[in-house]
Amino acid sequence: MVASLPLPVVSLDPFDLSWRPRLEAVLSAGCAAGATLVEVFLESTDHIGLLAEQDRITNVSPAFGKGAGIRVFRGERDGFVSTNDLSKRGLLTALEQALGMLGLEPCSAGRGGFEGLAHLRDHAAAKAGWLAACPGLGDATARLLEGTALLECHGQHLQARRGSYARDWQEVMVAASDGTFARDIRLHQSVGLNALVADGEHRASQGRRYGSTDRPDDLLHWDAEASATELCASARAMLHADYVEAGSYPVVLANRFGGVIFHEACGHLLETTQVERGTTPFADQVGSPIAHGAVTAIDEGLSTGAFGSLSMDDEGMEPQRNVLIENGILKRFLSDRAGELRTGHARTGSGRRQSHAFAAASRMRNTFIAAGPHSPADLIGSVERGLYCKSMGGGSVGPTGQFNFAVEEGYLIENGQLGKPVKGATLIGEAKEVLPRISMCANDLELAAGFCGSVSGSIFVTVGQPHIKVDAITVGGR
Amino acid sequence: MTVTDTAIRESPVQGLDASKLAGQLERLAAELGIRRWDLGAACSTDTSVQVDRGEPKQLKGAQRSSITVRVWNADGLVGITSTSDLSAAGLARALAGAQEASAYGNADDTPTFSPLATAPLETLDQPLREPVGILSLLATLQEAERDLLSRHVAISTVPYNGLAQRSSERIYLNSDGACRQQRLSTASLYLYARAEEAGRKPRSSGAVRLAYGAGLLDVAGCIDEAAERTISHLDYAPIDTGRYPCVFSPEAFLDLIGAFSSLFNARSVLDGVSLSQRESIGEQLAVPFLSIHDNGLHPGNIGASSFDGEGTPVHRLALVDGGVLKHFLHSEATARAFGVAPTGHAGLGAKVSVGTNWLEIGPGDSAGGASGLDRHKADGVVWIESLSALHAGVKASQGSFSLPFDGWLIQGGEARSIEAATVAGDIRAVLKGLIGFEGPAKITPDGLCPHVWVEGLSITGDA
Repeated sequence: MVASLPLPVVSLDPFDLSWRPRLEAVLSAGCAAGATLVEVFLESTDHIGLLAEQDRITNVSPAFGKGAGIRVFRGERDGFVSTNDLSKRGLLTALEQALGMLGLEPCSAGRGGFEGLAHLRDHAAAKAGWLAACPGLGDATARLLEGTALLECHGQHLQARRGSYARDWQEVMVAASDGTFARDIRLHQSVGLNALVADGEHRASQGRRYGSTDRPDDLLHWDAEASATELCASARAMLHADYVEAGSYPVVLANRFGGVIFHEACGHLLETTQVERGTTPFADQVGSPIAHGAVTAIDEGLSTGAFGSLSMDDEGMEPQRNVLIENGILKRFLSDRAGELRTGHARTGSGRRQSHAFAAASRMRNTFIAAGPHSPADLIGSVERGLYCKSMGGGSVGPTGQFNFAVEEGYLIENGQLGKPVKGATLIGEAKEVLPRISMCANDLELAAGFCGSVSGSIFVTVGQPHIKVDAITVGGR
Repeated sequence: MTVTDTAIRESPVQGLDASKLAGQLERLAAELGIRRWDLGAACSTDTSVQVDRGEPKQLKGAQRSSITVRVWNADGLVGITSTSDLSAAGLARALAGAQEASAYGNADDTPTFSPLATAPLETLDQPLREPVGILSLLATLQEAERDLLSRHVAISTVPYNGLAQRSSERIYLNSDGACRQQRLSTASLYLYARAEEAGRKPRSSGAVRLAYGAGLLDVAGCIDEAAERTISHLDYAPIDTGRYPCVFSPEAFLDLIGAFSSLFNARSVLDGVSLSQRESIGEQLAVPFLSIHDNGLHPGNIGASSFDGEGTPVHRLALVDGGVLKHFLHSEATARAFGVAPTGHAGLGAKVSVGTNWLEIGPGDSAGGASGLDRHKADGVVWIESLSALHAGVKASQGSFSLPFDGWLIQGGEARSIEAATVAGDIRAVLKGLIGFEGPAKITPDGLCPHVWVEGLSITGDA
């Protein structure tokens, strides 16, 4: 075993108050040129990715970087430029390019009404030691190898075993000409296990990923035994499963990652970016019923340790808890700075981006359907013939609102009882049609970490729900 | 105010100085006691515009740089680090990080320099175009959107659109003196329209074009195709669930084969996650009239690279010929494990990834398959225009797929758009169930392919 070296922590200069003059110079120049709002987003990152295959560490991938994104508004229009050059000259060059996009030219005189940055809201102050407190390479690799060894221990017909770990540390500073001046440090870690099992012509692959934010030592507390046990049981069940018969069924979706359907099928339609595009059917439905009365849905950035939690969004605003749907009634949309400007929906602390290379957009954080009064057994017991989706894979939603999701682990429900496992199922539908069919919610709400790719890149999110029952949905199969 | 349109044009890619970079690396590596290293570096300048019903939606510019350094330690183990900081300090930090990571290098699978990293490269005919001003891009896209909106009263918006251009440069260097460098300019246009008729569901479709510069883009063709496709889906109906013969468009079949490219990937074979095994070479994988080549150098491959991440020259490679599996795609390490030469399909890493460049699919030199196929005269056939959600609906290690698609049901030679459906099957059955090819091969962004007829596949509809 290699000694436990610290992970290669890169010493990047922190974003502190010494940046104020440089940022104020950029913001002044932008306002003097006629911009109605200028925003600078500074970012420094330190990432490590580890991969274990079978009983070997096969990849260690460190990466670090820095950059800035400068966004200029002229009324409702905006221009955005990103650069890796954080010198004053580099930032001013990027600003000039953004101004040029809006037909504005730099002006050397005046501050254009810019009154200086406010007092720094420093969410990072208490987080300075997080990076160094993360597990060293020795500890991290040992935990991954423990995971793949446990797969070997609990699995059958194993063809390939993998464990992966990613640690993403990000320091950001946001400065805007409305005085916004804020700094934060984010830490996301995730660990996953995958197994491919094969027996003759039969094959099955299963994976599980766990993620947290703001907990430097989380990997050390990861329950590898439970993860490997659950994964192997799932792979075992699916190895010899038959293909599901295509058709329309009542479906019971398990809790945790089952919430990905609400995220994709409905959550995205409640972002103001969709209102701007004219691609949400709910644009003028606030106050109207859009879902079954059993459905209450929430988006927030506050849950301790959850993958989508934030101290501030990427526009410097503290997150809020937003009830999106209450007892079936649409209550509000998720909005960012541009969304508020263009649609009138007030900002919700939801302006998020993958990195400095993207302009922020209204995005989800921790999004879930609230718990209901039933037990999971009540839901399954209410179905005469249907499908139980224990584990969901990925999915997507198209420009007309139609969604589709792969079922990783499914079982038939017959006469209110779980039956044989089935594979190859895809759930297909449209949010407008499916939301009114979510007729029962159980009392076992749980959250799960995920990644969401959309207009402002890939971001960390949480999805979640209790067990829910959908009265009818199209199931693609063989 | 006088509006100038030069902001981005005056800031072209600063350029990578390969010899200066090599000198810096050599000096810094020596200071750290590193004797063997290589690197891949890239920088680019991008501009892009989006519009929304005549108004500029988002105008974007970006200057990006990145570098990945790979070092071998005294025990011969490999470590890497990537960074966007190309300053001397950034390079020093990257080298130090890679050296630390090398302590965890995999002794069982250590890459080394490609033996072909200094071999001659093919000369590519890639005209370098100066970027146009962003306001010119904007005007072009506004006009394109206006034109597309005017094509049919039901087309109310073009919610997904973009016109982008990029100037880029990439380098591969190693401590044995290999030096590869390539400059490139590219541009892209995409238009996805949304159409809706009273009392009917919204429908959407679109088109994409690539070129070596914004002025070379086939804007009119993109508008025509986006309009034609969108309008063709306005009259839709549900389809009964069942098994149907299917005709894949070139784009759809290339997407399907690309999603299962681990069949040809030596890295996946060695990792045990491919449907192929080491001894699969020479096996009959498909019908005898199917050939699949990877040809990153094809003139239709806009943005082609003449060398891969390890500096190996890209060349045309037969993957399937006459239905028989002929070769795998290789990096240096996988090629060494198989006792063959690297093929020009590698990335750069401690564990090197392998992937396709640009596929050519068709009958090749083989004869066979049904002749005279014509979907416009067919009956009871599903014509698959495009596949969606491949990341979720394809189980590459299992061979199965279940994918939503846009397309038409053809009955009595009449095509009617399908409301919503998925197609499911097994890739091995598809490859052995090809009926034949229809029409000439079409160049797409992902490769070259004709329409492909396949025996009955499972279709799930909403009916």
